Amino acid sequence: MTKRTQRFVFLGVAILVVGLGTGLVASYVGLPNLGIVGSDGPAELAYVPPDATVVAFADVREVMDSQLRQKLLKISPEADHGADSFQAETGINMQTDVDRIVATISGTPDPSNPANMRPLLLARGRFDTARIEAAIRAKGGTVEEYNKQRLITLQNELGLAFVEPDLAVVGVPASVRRAIDTKASGNNVTSNADVMRLVRDFDSGNAWVVAHIEAVTSGNVIPAEIKQQLPPITWLALNARIDDGVSAMVRAEARDEAAANNLRDVIRGLVALARLQTAQHQELAQLVNSLELGGQGTTVSLGLTIPPAVIDMLGALRGAQPPVAPQGIPGATGPRRRLPPAL
Amino acid sequence: MSKSSSPVAGAARIFDLSLGELLWSRRTIFMALVVGAPVLLATVARIVQASGVAPLRVNGSRVDAVSIFGMIIWVLFLRFIVPVLGVFYGTSLVADEVEDKTITYLFTRPLRRGAVLLGKYLAYLACTTLVVLPSVMIVYFMLVPFGEIPRSFTALMTDLGLLAVGIATYGALFTFVGAWLKRPLVVGLIYVFGWEQFAMLMPGYLRRFTLAYYLQALVPHAMPADEGVASLLRSVFSETPSAGLSLLVLVTVTVVSLFLAMRVIERREYVLEQ
Repeated sequence: MTKRTQRFVFLGVAILVVGLGTGLVASYVGLPNLGIVGSDGPAELAYVPPDATVVAFADVREVMDSQLRQKLLKISPEADHGADSFQAETGINMQTDVDRIVATISGTPDPSNPANMRPLLLARGRFDTARIEAAIRAKGGTVEEYNKQRLITLQNELGLAFVEPDLAVVGVPASVRRAIDTKASGNNVTSNADVMRLVRDFDSGNAWVVAHIEAVTSGNVIPAEIKQQLPPITWLALNARIDDGVSAMVRAEARDEAAANNLRDVIRGLVALARLQTAQHQELAQLVNSLELGGQGTTVSLGLTIPPAVIDMLGALRGAQPPVAPQGIPGATGPRRRLPPAL
Repeated sequence: MSKSSSPVAGAARIFDLSLGELLWSRRTIFMALVVGAPVLLATVARIVQASGVAPLRVNGSRVDAVSIFGMIIWVLFLRFIVPVLGVFYGTSLVADEVEDKTITYLFTRPLRRGAVLLGKYLAYLACTTLVVLPSVMIVYFMLVPFGEIPRSFTALMTDLGLLAVGIATYGALFTFVGAWLKRPLVVGLIYVFGWEQFAMLMPGYLRRFTLAYYLQALVPHAMPADEGVASLLRSVFSETPSAGLSLLVLVTVTVVSLFLAMRVIERREYVLEQ
């Protein structure tokens, strides 16, 4: 065998070995575990209990600074009211204080215990701890020491602890205590292989959610009639990149292949219907055409891209709408609101 | 060394000699073009994908990367590249030596004729698998995002295995045709582009007399999973034998073809045209 032939054989074998090796490692060990691609999720997962059924992440700074948000604020200035109420309750300003946030729900939801259904929030950013603590104490809050952490509670409804200089844990007091215990014990959600499998796959973009739908719906939160109509999905994951538009990917894992095929058929039908409805509107047609249905076996995935042009179009449509004026119901006898005098 | 001693050692010597000949012949340019096309296609798809545009749409819907890879395996590798390489290389193993009038030099060596053919066939196998399989690997990593690897890697392994089986079976069949017939290339092209295409589209049992029928049965998972082209492919390839039966048939065809080829070359008198 000549040197040239030997080199060729070596190159061919090397490509195969490297490819197979990479694939095997990615499949059975996971590239994120080796630190080659991605990571084992955000560091805040150290506070998330192992029985978490929903884990969500948002890079608040990127989302807040995104062109999309600026456009949405122009379209709908009241869109930030949710953040305002959060600030009123906790003293934390989402727009200026928080860089990123992890939200989680653990265990099976129980409607008889609403506190159990409230998410635990882990917000990383810059906090004026003294001011926030003073604000909560002014409302009647108390401060206690729990597992070497300073826990601020308000009427058993709100718990807040600054577990790291730049990390605040917010939720019902029981959840916050459990988060502190989780960190101390080291037994956290990263040991939950099912959740982490999806977290690793979806830990890209600036927002993502992983939910164990089967566990979430197994409680009595959803009426049985509605539950019967839901597709038999076990896991649902979504990630999105928000900048001047939105690119998102949703993945659903069905109970079996038949259920996945049914779900694909339903989505395919809905996409066809949407295509029919939007044929006259080029921008919306662009949005519908960006839908990418995929997945194999029990997995169904749907990709979506909302281009900036669609956002602009929605803004233009909103701008073109006449302001909604209160209207009396014909035949109604109730008092009509008096309009302010014209200036 | 007597002609009866160690056919394996003889085949190994011919393998060593033929591998370089096959690799650095004019056919290599053809093979590079044929195998390079999917890599080029995958590169373009990757660039297009990176720019935010869907590289492939079926009925207006974007086709995901794993499905595009499945389509490339089906349409390019399985239905075109593997049969074509089998025909071009398999038929040339003996026919080229006859045409170049060099077969006499091989037959005058102290080796059994069957070992000569076996060595050449093994060289073909090494040459084509070392080009086709790395090409598939490159296409896979070009197209499929890292996050999708755990879900699709088993399918890739199956694809690599079945492509290797396909290369071996088509190669063995056309090695026999090359040893038996005087104009084997024409027969091979008619078989691949005529008979197999025709029989696969015909309803009934005709497709059972094609290699493609058994080869495709090994890859139901690699078939694109969505609408449009997939539906068409599914309708064409819907009737498939079991994987076990397919593998048995393909291995049998390979072994029988090689045996017949060795038998033909042992008994036949090749008259070289002056």
